[in-house]
Amino acid sequence: MTTSEIRPPQIGRIMHFALRARQANMFLVLLFSLLIGLVFGGFLIILTTPALMSSWGHFFSHPGATISSSWNTVWFAYEQLFQGALVNFHSLRSLIDSPSKTNLANVLAPLSGTLTYATPLIVAGLGLAVGFRSSLFNIGGQGQVIVGGVLALLVSISFNLPPFFQVSLEIIAAVVGGALVAGLAGVLKAYTGAHEVIVTMMTNYTMVLILGYLLITSVFARPGVHDGASKAIEVSGQLPYFLSHLNSALLLNFGFPIAFAMVLVVQWFFNRSKTGFQLLMVGQNPDAARVAGISSRRSIIICMALSGALLGLAGMLKITGVDHLATPNFGGSYGFDAITVALLGRNKPWGVFFGAIFFGVMFTGGAAMQAFTPTNIQFSLSQVIQAVVVFCVATPALVIEAFRLRDGASLVSTNGSGGWV
Amino acid sequence: MKLELRGITKRFGSMTANSNVNLVVKPGEIHCLLGENGAGKSTLMNILYGMLTPDEGQILIDDAVVTIRDPKDAVAHGIGMVHQHFMLIPVFDVADNVILGSEPVKPWPVIDYKTAVTNLLSLAEQYGFEIDPRATVENLPIGTQQRVEILKALSHDASILILDEPTAVLTPQETDAFMVILRSLKESGKSIIFITHKLREVLEIADVITVMRLGEIVGNTTPSETDERGLATMMVGREVNLVVDKMPSTPGDVVLQVKDLFVEDERGLTSVKGISFDVRAGEILAVAGVQGNGQTELVEALTGMRRPSSGDVILNNVNLHGEAVRKFLDAGIGHVPEDRQRFGLVLSLSISDNLVLDQLDDSKFHNRFGRNLKAIKLNGEQLRKEFDIRSQSSDEPVGALSGGNQQKVVMARELSRELKILICSQPTRGLDVGSIEFMHRQIVAIRDSGVAVIIVSSELDEVVALGDRIAVMFDGAIQGIVPPSTSREDLGLLMAGARSREVSA
Repeated sequence: MTTSEIRPPQIGRIMHFALRARQANMFLVLLFSLLIGLVFGGFLIILTTPALMSSWGHFFSHPGATISSSWNTVWFAYEQLFQGALVNFHSLRSLIDSPSKTNLANVLAPLSGTLTYATPLIVAGLGLAVGFRSSLFNIGGQGQVIVGGVLALLVSISFNLPPFFQVSLEIIAAVVGGALVAGLAGVLKAYTGAHEVIVTMMTNYTMVLILGYLLITSVFARPGVHDGASKAIEVSGQLPYFLSHLNSALLLNFGFPIAFAMVLVVQWFFNRSKTGFQLLMVGQNPDAARVAGISSRRSIIICMALSGALLGLAGMLKITGVDHLATPNFGGSYGFDAITVALLGRNKPWGVFFGAIFFGVMFTGGAAMQAFTPTNIQFSLSQVIQAVVVFCVATPALVIEAFRLRDGASLVSTNGSGGWV
Repeated sequence: MKLELRGITKRFGSMTANSNVNLVVKPGEIHCLLGENGAGKSTLMNILYGMLTPDEGQILIDDAVVTIRDPKDAVAHGIGMVHQHFMLIPVFDVADNVILGSEPVKPWPVIDYKTAVTNLLSLAEQYGFEIDPRATVENLPIGTQQRVEILKALSHDASILILDEPTAVLTPQETDAFMVILRSLKESGKSIIFITHKLREVLEIADVITVMRLGEIVGNTTPSETDERGLATMMVGREVNLVVDKMPSTPGDVVLQVKDLFVEDERGLTSVKGISFDVRAGEILAVAGVQGNGQTELVEALTGMRRPSSGDVILNNVNLHGEAVRKFLDAGIGHVPEDRQRFGLVLSLSISDNLVLDQLDDSKFHNRFGRNLKAIKLNGEQLRKEFDIRSQSSDEPVGALSGGNQQKVVMARELSRELKILICSQPTRGLDVGSIEFMHRQIVAIRDSGVAVIIVSSELDEVVALGDRIAVMFDGAIQGIVPPSTSREDLGLLMAGARSREVSA
């Protein structure tokens, strides 16, 4: 009301830019979260490396050497993590010096591994985000991933169609299966008020046990073998690799473009589709949605089904693109990792996309770090860093306060998951 | 006790909520603080009560500078505040509520109820209150609950009482009783700062009137020097039309028929008990009544939000009983809900999105790629101009707007549909004089265009100003449908449960 009368004192352009830069935004929060995670991980590396610890014991006699050896160890570990997950500088150098297929394959190898790992997680994270945007907490990711995977496997075992149709049928089966399982939780919530968290959590147990049973039936088990692993997906039913002509070790497959397309679809769904807008409304203010004539029952069921469809698809991408067979542990922690990914991405499609890739980086990079550091810094360190980053992103207020960023109130209200995340 | 505020300035970011405010309250004075929403009254009082710290300026009590860091300091300096929304614990009794926070204990830690009750009774007697210390607060009428709040402040030896819009929730009769209490407080030497929107009350009770606008004090006056028009002009900064300009209505055909409607509230209690009435095209039926006499449930039933347990809602000869909200909206019912933030808007969404909340099916907001963002934005900009919604652009979230502008968004959205009937519940609650004037003009204009209108309001002034017929509700029933020429006293009696002697129209 008085904004037009009272103007802030005139400030120089550089100062203005500095002020703008300190304005808390998601990018800065992410950057600082990453920084906190890496610093924290650095301390852990020093603490868990006996040689470094003993040198700290003689800190006062050789302060310079102690600090530099610690710094070098931490730096080397992170260098391995980065090079193992994104791009290896040595192979990049070789590629520039002598461009060849082999060298190109070496450059692409780390990224290929990262994206392959991230692919099902992107789709699963999108599935969770769809629910969160409408304040529904689909905790049944694990079960729905299993359903999608098992149905894709069943299609692969039962039919022998040309690859395109085989894969399409697998996708349809997985999507429908996931949608039905989650949709059931939606129907129960809409008509009886049964809380979706309880119902979906129970379906997780059910699906894990059903999977365990199916794997010993003659339909899925390999004749005469009792190691719990199922028959493999036939080549016609696998998602084709698209870099394997460079090097057969490049496992990036067509799941990635599918996941990428899903990001665009979900983006469109929330920004442009009527149903997406309604789900958003119901999530943000169910009372106002009701006044505007939107049926909350219908919205709940649609939202759960869509969420489940994406998780089913994630299961299909995992089994046809990565695992190629099912084990009793097939669902793994996907359902829960996906929750974290959705949280990291603040339920925005692109946020989920990069959140999942971050998980991929920490996964493949963590393995590289363990393999290539002289003291074999444990893979779990990368998971610790990941956890710290997620923690910081989940509490933007903490990061804003710690780095004295100017408060961006919009950050707090953007997540739209009704306080669940 | 003499209170002085000297040069108080308070800024929130780039916005100045109070700018160099000077205010003197003399002992035994009723000092009315008048101003539109956002004029800075609440900020000033929150500073005085220690909930905010001023950026500049001093607070002086009996000519000595004091520092008030929190409400505790304020209470220690003899300042008491009665908030607009009562800070009482409904399940506690009166005595419990009054002693809460300063319980007499003897021996420690046992609460000495006997002393508590004795003190309370002697206090009540001193100011002529009638109160039962053992009555549970939630069972008391609102007016009595307010007395409990006042007693609570007095029990801390407050010599200055801040009353924040105390009459907003009272019936006309309760308001009269409240005025008597104010006078007796004044006689006993208490100073009172009385914040209100209602010009009539200010003129009736004030010794001194201070008017605030945009964070500054625009003037001091006394009731003998001014009138309602003068005060409104000071508040808004321009001439305001207090009387709603409207021609006599020209009622057309019956649009809405309500027949023998019974509605239950969520606790399963029947809160609308057999209501029947008709509304014709081009007339305004105003539903008056103290809050909580079934108006909320009536509106919910008329808009499809709540399924009546029996009875019919017939719109243009179509019975809508039991249909979904969507059907009600499609049949041409416009709904401006009572609680706009909870039921009317999605605060995190933009103004343009909120302007199409219930029109998602409209083909003009679609193209082959889905929602037509351009058309939605264009619609938003157009309505923003037409309804003078004050914001930088229609992309701003609705939550950033002031109450009056939020209400304009709701009204603009409903009026942009094809309507047969518009149902407005408390259309101007919490709005300032300028916005009220605007809303009233819109409502009369839609009536004149041949739409039937139902206004539900607990503001008697509004009901009388807008209604072509007035239906008074009490305890879930309509006590009578009377013409707007009915005297305020008679309306007050109907609102308090008396049966109307003559039912006209």
